[in-house]
Amino acid sequence: MRPLPNLMSLLASFEWSFIWDNRDEFLHGLWKTLQVSLIAIAGAFAVGVVLGAGRAHRIPVLSQLAAIYVEVIRNTPILVQVYFVYFGLSEPPFNIRLTAFTAGWLTLVVWGGAFNTENFRAGFEAVPYRYREAGLALGFGRLKTFLNVTLPIGGRIALPSSINTYVSVLKNSALIGPAISLPELTYQAYSLESVSFRATEIYFTLAVIYLVVVWVLSGLIRALEAWLALPEAKHVRTRQQRLWQAV
Amino acid sequence: MLLPALTPDWSGPVFRYVLEHGLPFTLKIAGTSVVGSAVIGIVLGTLLTIRFLPLRGLIRLYIEVWRGLPLIVTLFLIVYALPQTTFHLTFRPWVGAAIGLTLWGSAQVAEATRGAVESIPREQHEAASALGFGWVGRHVHVVLPQALRRLLPPLVSLLVNVIQNTTLAALVSVTEVLFAAKQQVERLAAPPPAGLLQQHGFAIYAAVLVFFFVVSFPMTRLAAYLERRLI
Repeated sequence: MRPLPNLMSLLASFEWSFIWDNRDEFLHGLWKTLQVSLIAIAGAFAVGVVLGAGRAHRIPVLSQLAAIYVEVIRNTPILVQVYFVYFGLSEPPFNIRLTAFTAGWLTLVVWGGAFNTENFRAGFEAVPYRYREAGLALGFGRLKTFLNVTLPIGGRIALPSSINTYVSVLKNSALIGPAISLPELTYQAYSLESVSFRATEIYFTLAVIYLVVVWVLSGLIRALEAWLALPEAKHVRTRQQRLWQAV
Repeated sequence: MLLPALTPDWSGPVFRYVLEHGLPFTLKIAGTSVVGSAVIGIVLGTLLTIRFLPLRGLIRLYIEVWRGLPLIVTLFLIVYALPQTTFHLTFRPWVGAAIGLTLWGSAQVAEATRGAVESIPREQHEAASALGFGWVGRHVHVVLPQALRRLLPPLVSLLVNVIQNTTLAALVSVTEVLFAAKQQVERLAAPPPAGLLQQHGFAIYAAVLVFFFVVSFPMTRLAAYLERRLI
């Protein structure tokens, strides 16, 4: 019987020099991944704060529209969303031709914004009403009360769940690359594989890069969370945190 | 009145193709991975509550790896990288996709199970031990039946997420719903006799969005309802 090769001999059989020779492809891909993710995260933050506030304060029309938006995005696959934005919108009746880069970050903003709306809604709703009352009693208008009271406190309550969403945005950029040929990390690996056929080395390296990025990010996030957490909010479990985050 | 507007002439063959060729793969992948994720996840999550460090470390690693990797990278690893290793493991693409989704889903379920099992009060363990149950009997007959109640909402959410993530199989060339729809968009855009030289990408992808929404929305509502009722 042929002896089963063990994991160490598997790793030893890799040609690591191949990865090193093509390090530029990986680095360019990683850079593009970070670019798309950062734009998408900033956009998702803005969408989340505005619509989350609209939901939490029950602003008529905006609140209902935001609720529909959140349900539609959360109940449809992101891959179909990106196909729709990139392949669907470019055809009649809209004829909006977006570059892969724009379609990529736009989809991620729309997707992350929906999850963030829920995160911030839960955060803002967790701010006790007496705090806002105190702001109004001090003569602040509704907007100023929101900016000075609800946003700093509710924002920090929403921080852990919103950061989970940002990590998911980064991970989802991986499927947008191969879907619409956006040259981010996964697409770079994919196209490198299709010319070299060294699938093992390439995808193993790809997985390690993603794990390092995601784990380092999660570690930083926990540190930031501990630093920013409100003393009394340390044990607050918002409903959103218990609900499951999609990948 | 509305029906003719919603079903133009070109749409019949498209619907039929997507439902006959795409849907079975979506269902096969979703069914296999939900069952696999639930079984593996509940076992791993229960084992995770044992205070034995090496075992815990291993299961932790499993969870962190499969939850940390983007799902598409897991799928590429299984479908493209595994056949080239010295193991020469080759799966049919839909099986590979189901395995990838199971790895990811079982990591999610394991984490949820750990929480659910740990939420069962210690007295329940002690009472079961006092009745003479061993570790396995204690968990199978006393702890898990109670923990499963709390596990129900996350399991329904998992089902929704798995169904949505079956679309990723399209990127490893499995003819599931999204891939079948894309084929039809490309066919219609081709010149006759195969196609009609027409662009219907907007309508077809919108229909796919509607399809997934109609399937997912009731289940998300159910998960939210269960969450309110059971916790």
